[in-house]
Amino acid sequence: MSDAQQPTDDGGPGDDDFEPIQVFPEAGEMDLRPGADNCYKCSTCDTNCPVAEVDDEFPGPKFQGPEQWRLKRQDDHDIDDSVMKCSNCMRCDSACPSEVPLSQMHNTARAEYVEENMSKLSREYWRNRMLANYRRLAPLGSMFPRTTNFVMGLSATQWLGEKLLGITGEREFPEFATETFREWWTKRGGAQVQNPDKRIAYFHGCYANYNPPEVAKALVRVYEHFGYEIMVPDQHCSGTPMFANGMLEDARRSAETNVRELAWALEDGADIIASCSSCSMSLRQEYPELFDFEGTEDVAANTWDAVEYLRVHEDLEAELEGTSVGDEFDDFAYHAPCHARNQGLDGQTVEVLEAIDGIDAHDVGDSCSGISGTYGWKEENYETSMKIGAEMFEHMEDADAKAGLTECPTCSMQMEHGTGYEITHTLEVLEAALVGPAAEADGQ
Amino acid sequence: MARDTEVLVLGGGSTGCGIARDLAMRGLEVTLVERGNLTDGTTGRMHGLLHSGGRYAVSDQASATECIEENEVLREIAGHCVEETGGLFVQRPEDSDDYFQEKLEGCRECGIPARVLSGSEAREVEPYLADDIKRAIEVPDGAVDPFRLCVANAIDAQNHGARIETHAEVIDLLRDGDDIYGVEVRHDSGPGKRTHATSGTTEEITAEYVVNATGAWAGQIGAMADLEIAVRPSKGVMTIMNVRQVDTVINRCHPKGDADIVVPHETTAILGTTDEEVADPDDYPEEQWEVDQMIDTLSELVPILEEARTIRSFWGVRPLYEPPGTGTQDPTDITRDFFLLDHADRDGVAGMSSIVGGKFTTYRMMAEQISDHVCEKLGVNAACTTADEPLPGSENIATLEAGMDDFGLRSPVARRSRQRLGSRACEVLETDEPNPVICQCEGVTRAEIKDAIAQSGTDLNAVRIRTRASMGNCQGGFCCQPMANELHPEYDEEMVREALDELFQERWKGERHALWGEQLSQAMLNYALHATTMNRDRDPASETSTVDFAAFDDGRAERDRIDGIRGGR
Repeated sequence: MSDAQQPTDDGGPGDDDFEPIQVFPEAGEMDLRPGADNCYKCSTCDTNCPVAEVDDEFPGPKFQGPEQWRLKRQDDHDIDDSVMKCSNCMRCDSACPSEVPLSQMHNTARAEYVEENMSKLSREYWRNRMLANYRRLAPLGSMFPRTTNFVMGLSATQWLGEKLLGITGEREFPEFATETFREWWTKRGGAQVQNPDKRIAYFHGCYANYNPPEVAKALVRVYEHFGYEIMVPDQHCSGTPMFANGMLEDARRSAETNVRELAWALEDGADIIASCSSCSMSLRQEYPELFDFEGTEDVAANTWDAVEYLRVHEDLEAELEGTSVGDEFDDFAYHAPCHARNQGLDGQTVEVLEAIDGIDAHDVGDSCSGISGTYGWKEENYETSMKIGAEMFEHMEDADAKAGLTECPTCSMQMEHGTGYEITHTLEVLEAALVGPAAEADGQ
Repeated sequence: MARDTEVLVLGGGSTGCGIARDLAMRGLEVTLVERGNLTDGTTGRMHGLLHSGGRYAVSDQASATECIEENEVLREIAGHCVEETGGLFVQRPEDSDDYFQEKLEGCRECGIPARVLSGSEAREVEPYLADDIKRAIEVPDGAVDPFRLCVANAIDAQNHGARIETHAEVIDLLRDGDDIYGVEVRHDSGPGKRTHATSGTTEEITAEYVVNATGAWAGQIGAMADLEIAVRPSKGVMTIMNVRQVDTVINRCHPKGDADIVVPHETTAILGTTDEEVADPDDYPEEQWEVDQMIDTLSELVPILEEARTIRSFWGVRPLYEPPGTGTQDPTDITRDFFLLDHADRDGVAGMSSIVGGKFTTYRMMAEQISDHVCEKLGVNAACTTADEPLPGSENIATLEAGMDDFGLRSPVARRSRQRLGSRACEVLETDEPNPVICQCEGVTRAEIKDAIAQSGTDLNAVRIRTRASMGNCQGGFCCQPMANELHPEYDEEMVREALDELFQERWKGERHALWGEQLSQAMLNYALHATTMNRDRDPASETSTVDFAAFDDGRAERDRIDGIRGGR
């Protein structure tokens, strides 16, 4: 019998086999250089980058991704600061004909930049940390929603926000709901439908919980209409704003909770449904690219966009055939969020709304809204953000509609900010068509 | 008789340039002639390993000891050419324990710092090592850029008054009875900086002493004066990966064999190599199977290599030599030691010595011994200083690096530029002119290209080896033309075009052995790009005959065309 077969715990020679190996390095130390092998420098990513289009100083995704990674040696940690100009719209991922893991490279480089090159005492760091961790502040706002809304709406607050934190004073903060979705859900007594064969776990994300919870409520009513039992597991932020701000450790903590909770839901036979296109994007793509918790791949493979899921598992169009929404809604100018586009979902809303009598969604084209989550909230990015959005604003105004439609909360803010239109989520339209105003009594 | 120069060195590889620098620093008058570019022969075709001596620690301890000594010297004098990567001798489960032990003891006997790592410790250093690696020995191997090192030696020789003549092929040795007194060269493109102006002219260069440092070509030179030098050229294939899969030199810990080393080199990793004797160092088969087999074998150590992208492959020719009568059959058994052949002692022909064998890592030591010999012959009493004087670009690197700014460049571009230029970075990169990145793969800016052009004229391959521009994953597809553009307006259109063609052709040569997967896509994109934007698939400007414009008709008259369109409706 050889030595190697005898486990020892003294750390001496001979116990090689039993030494724990860190199989997956910390995200900040991930070696993505081999990903540069796929790049043949065609520059399609650069021509699809909305930031590069309006900002000549921005070197574009090809530099940020494969070029920068290829130039690295193991101990090099000086990431170029231009990575902070990337809005994380992830359009480069879909643009690339050669499967270069661009956004993974950007997310990892950004995290490395923040870790190694950004002062932890800087205003930028704390502003970004605050924006990225919006979820941690939101409960405070929700505790005293009226006061918060009043204070946040004051021009003095906006002025201070810009001067002290570098948050643009041009935008109005979203209002906090007087009752969060989860409060409503508890009060209502949770799921109204029990069905072991049709179960979903709803990942509502932060915005649909703390800010107008109508989207979340609409999802509940639409899914219950189709006979689904809805679970609302404990959850943290999906991580999207944290990736975009290079706060990968914050994202890791949130993701760990989400993966654990959602993996449990999977064991209960549920599929995971998100109503926010960035949340579903994060669970589906960024988690498996950046993390390796047990169950990450399963969660990613079983996460769906709310409308997509119904189109696949139900005959949504047939169900909508002949329905109408009365006076509640008219035609919409529809913007497909970049993160929905990346999931291949950009055509579905227009098709689904065609089935409903009396309303249409007019696609305003494939431009980016420009806000990209927390990006357009930063004072230094506001102008770029509005330049990117200009095409969308123009197309919205040209469209034969007086209201906007989208599935992303921050795109919706940008659409409203640029046009003054009221912006609706597709699930709210489905709710009006399938359930109608009668359901308003539900849960009251 | 007055001679043109005191010492004439034949061959612009590491040995020749090392000798030129050494003698020039000792105050001698030196001329060096090289048939192509500096490094064109064997020096530019090596794997870039700065030996710790570990590879020879069992089989050839004398060489191993020399290696570790010179390894330490080069870290000091050539800091900007050397990367202190460290190296591992990796043992797979099927590799012999006894040999592993012999290797470890051999390293210690030769004064090579060596430490045993467990399999998991080795994987911590290099995460892409195979899971079943058993153990490894850590040694101070390094990576060295042979181009930069050789060029730095030549520049320093020039700074000490030497004449460095590239693109000057030796066509005859001048022999008068039993005395060799110089050579006749044919200038491929004129003396001095390459200008193409006097292409084809010949020149006789006379010298008091000639040093034949042409390596694998030494036999051909010797034959010009009826001297027999039985060099046994041996070819080895090397494949360049697109990225660095490893940042440490990875050696297989076994007695000997093909395909047993991966060397991180600048932005790439180089796989090596094979060992097969060839008859003619200029004409030998380059077989695809040699590349395939090497990738397969090395994948046993670093499995990711199997799927990884290669950007090119090249073959180098070792200048192996063994004294007549040794009769070693297998080229891998021929000693890596060098031999100084004084033709006066050996053949009774005075005025020339030949240097054969040897290896890159010990080039400086070889140069020192030959220079000592030359000084003795010429009756000069001067001591060698090359072990202490840093090369241009390597002066005070440590202190300089700390204080250097980014020159307004993006940080990875600035970092790579500093790594390449060393202490010359400020001098080269500080410019008031716009300084865009010309080669995006390697992060080379216009200022660095201009600096190289100032050194080497229109030869863009000489610019390439100085800067690494066009050596990245697109292999010049995107940057050859902007590089050529920098030659204008100093050089006219025709010359710029010729320089561009020559560089692009050279890039293509190595890519031929990497045409699958991503590199094939790259080659197709390069082709399409050059064809559609520059007409380079059938460029009328490269036609030798003038275009007969009269043969074209004038097209249809305006009126007919309008009618024609209407008629078509």
